[in-house]
Amino acid sequence: MTMKPIRQLLCLIALLALVSPAFARVKLVALPDRARVVVSLSHPDVTLLEEERMLPLQKGGNQIDFSWRGVNIDANSIQIRLLTAPEQVNIINTSYPPNENALIWQVFSPVAKEERVRISYIIGGLTREVAYRAVSEPDEKSLALRNYLKLRNHSGEDIVDAEFGIGYGASFKKSIQHEESLELLSERIDALPIKKILTWDSAQQPWDPEYVKSTVGLPLTYVIKNDKVSKLGVHTLLPGKARIFIKTKEQPEKEGDKPGEGVAFTGEDWAGLTPVDREMKLYIGQSRDVKVTQRKVREDRVNIRRNNGNNPVLWDTDELYKIEIENFKKVAVDVVIVEHFPGYWKIVENSHAAAFKKKDAFTFEFHLNLPAESTGAKKTTINFNLNRLNVQGNEPSSY
Amino acid sequence: MKTVVSRLVRIHLLAVIAFGCTAFDSHARINVVTLPGRDTVQLTIYNSADLTLVKETRVLTFKQGLNRLEFSWANTLIDPTSVEFRALTNADKVEVLDVSFPARVTNTLEWRIASEVAGEVKCEIRYFTSGISWGADYVVEADQKEKQMQLAGSVRVNNHSGEDYENAQIRLVVGVVRLVQSIVDLARQGQPIGEVPKPGSAVPMMPPAAKFDAMRGMGRAVGEAEMRQREVVKEALSEYFLYTVEGRDTVANGWSKRMPSFKAAEVPITSYYKYERERWGDIVMRYYKFTNAVPSKLGKEPLPDGGVMAFRTVTKDNLYSFVGRTAVKYIPIGETVEMELGNDAEVMVKPTLMSWGKVDLAFDPFGNVKGWTTKESWQFEIQNSKEIEVVLDIRRNFGGDWSMVTEQAYEKVDATKVKMVLPLKPLEKRTITYELTTRHGSNATK
Repeated sequence: MTMKPIRQLLCLIALLALVSPAFARVKLVALPDRARVVVSLSHPDVTLLEEERMLPLQKGGNQIDFSWRGVNIDANSIQIRLLTAPEQVNIINTSYPPNENALIWQVFSPVAKEERVRISYIIGGLTREVAYRAVSEPDEKSLALRNYLKLRNHSGEDIVDAEFGIGYGASFKKSIQHEESLELLSERIDALPIKKILTWDSAQQPWDPEYVKSTVGLPLTYVIKNDKVSKLGVHTLLPGKARIFIKTKEQPEKEGDKPGEGVAFTGEDWAGLTPVDREMKLYIGQSRDVKVTQRKVREDRVNIRRNNGNNPVLWDTDELYKIEIENFKKVAVDVVIVEHFPGYWKIVENSHAAAFKKKDAFTFEFHLNLPAESTGAKKTTINFNLNRLNVQGNEPSSY
Repeated sequence: MKTVVSRLVRIHLLAVIAFGCTAFDSHARINVVTLPGRDTVQLTIYNSADLTLVKETRVLTFKQGLNRLEFSWANTLIDPTSVEFRALTNADKVEVLDVSFPARVTNTLEWRIASEVAGEVKCEIRYFTSGISWGADYVVEADQKEKQMQLAGSVRVNNHSGEDYENAQIRLVVGVVRLVQSIVDLARQGQPIGEVPKPGSAVPMMPPAAKFDAMRGMGRAVGEAEMRQREVVKEALSEYFLYTVEGRDTVANGWSKRMPSFKAAEVPITSYYKYERERWGDIVMRYYKFTNAVPSKLGKEPLPDGGVMAFRTVTKDNLYSFVGRTAVKYIPIGETVEMELGNDAEVMVKPTLMSWGKVDLAFDPFGNVKGWTTKESWQFEIQNSKEIEVVLDIRRNFGGDWSMVTEQAYEKVDATKVKMVLPLKPLEKRTITYELTTRHGSNATK
């Protein structure tokens, strides 16, 4: 049996007469319940809890003793706001006793009354994370996306009937006990269009698969665009783990029945923060049905300039590359070929100009749609001729 | 019920009954005849050093002739070299002849005072103590559109001096004073090591009953003057600013007390974002920018350095969203400041070097390259995912002989830095570009 930690969040009111002799602050007059609890999870690292309580104030001076045990409250973050009559009631000062998780507000009220106050503080251990689960259609053209909010409460405090806000969308009401975790479905989008892309990166994958013992796998990425077309585009998608499944047909229970529907897990990735109109790329596995072979067919130094010692100090290059791509799949597939060239260069000839896309000064890509079963004589072949210019051997490759 | 007095600073008026004994004879010092309490106490607390000037007044009964007055301060952090005595009444008839620090007695001094009058004399005793500090803190409550804020300032006094100060007038000094020796070191001189409580640590000498009494002090006094928030009166004083907290307060040893200092509503702010790769990498930092000036509903006094908690109200009933916490530097009147509130991914800056070229090669007489020029094309994708207007400040640092061509307005901050300030509408996306030419080696013209 596990022991429940000692925890208690107290709001004690010690009332003082206007003129009085010595008083101990432990004099307890009332223990008002929380009238409302609001949890703000909009900040990525900090959880703010706001609670409202009805405090019975006596005419004159009142001491409100706010103390906690076993709850991870940032004492310096605690704020109190008067909601009923802020123009009448005054917070005179705040005292912090030594070696205690407590503070004391000295409050003056001109009349005996109930005052609704809102106490705000940063609480540790009450965290949120986002998780995505998606089930792709068998053709991998669209998927059903579920966005879950996971709440974990290790704050030491039971949070009862609290309004939770995550920075977008409507807030929702939930209770979560100490040491409890909750998973809530926060968004559900069906038939969300996706792009499936295989990527061959000349800096990551081997150029000639013939020299590699195992079959080379090409990273497989699902691309989800956070826009209206994708039935998204309302808010930034928060980072979280994304698990992707694909629909499968299950064997019928008995002969003659229709095949049932099931799913198979195809992979997972950490989704990055994705603002509206930008792409979320999920690398979920590899494809081994597309084969890429790249060769440098020609590499000549030209236009060599030498110093008086006949040493080359500056030159250009004339380089010819050939990329052969075979698709063994029975369906067409999108492939991106990524090339990296540091320094100053220019493309002289390019067999696939329409597919060419310059990403930055040192990177360009070919975006190809490979026909189904385009192998052998049907394979796709890219040739490009590139000149590096004014090479000294110290050219930058990144920025 | 009698409560235990928690004061550790004591003053004894000694009966001079044995003139045969010298002032250095400790056996004569047991003749305590009065134990006068403090009538008033004033704390002037500095925030730039661990230093507080304590001024207390007491009424002492002198006899005509020689009087011996013992002042002791066991288990406190008082600087013995700073203790001064002066008579406030009959000042011309009461004279300090000398002051001695008795051998083998710690934390005690003895004044020999010649008095021409017999009877009560109001006296002032001044000394420095360490262990009391104060700090400012601020709460920012920005409105939903982040156009205005309510700025509430507080001062917090922390007492770890070993001594309770009851009903003290509290004055706080904003400014930097120079000390050639720290007060805590001076306080420790002449005391066995380990006896003096360290500032910030639990004070061992305070008995539970004394704590009870301190609580009484904390709970004391909701008198007429305390029915409202205390005003903190601010006045300029040389290079310092003096804050005087209205009324009297008790700050018991080990306790801290936070008092409201000011509250200004509708202070205009700019939701300001900065991108400078050399400082923060590829993240965008968020700031609230405001001016400590009268048109901004501030500007009545400089704002001391201190911590800031920033919230934004996000609903009609003013629920908070936590924005960030930071520290601000001392803000003189008239200065515009930026409160750094951390990274905010809702404003994105994505720089891309789109092309890089090396041209205009020059050679020396030996055929080696002596000069060249690089040309760079940069593209910045900018996105404000927030539903409010913000201002984005992009800074770029360039070295050498450089020139920049762009359609984007920019300001040259210094020889190596440019600044582009872009107001962004809610949810605005924008791309800016510039061409950078840098001349190297002999191509450099400056």
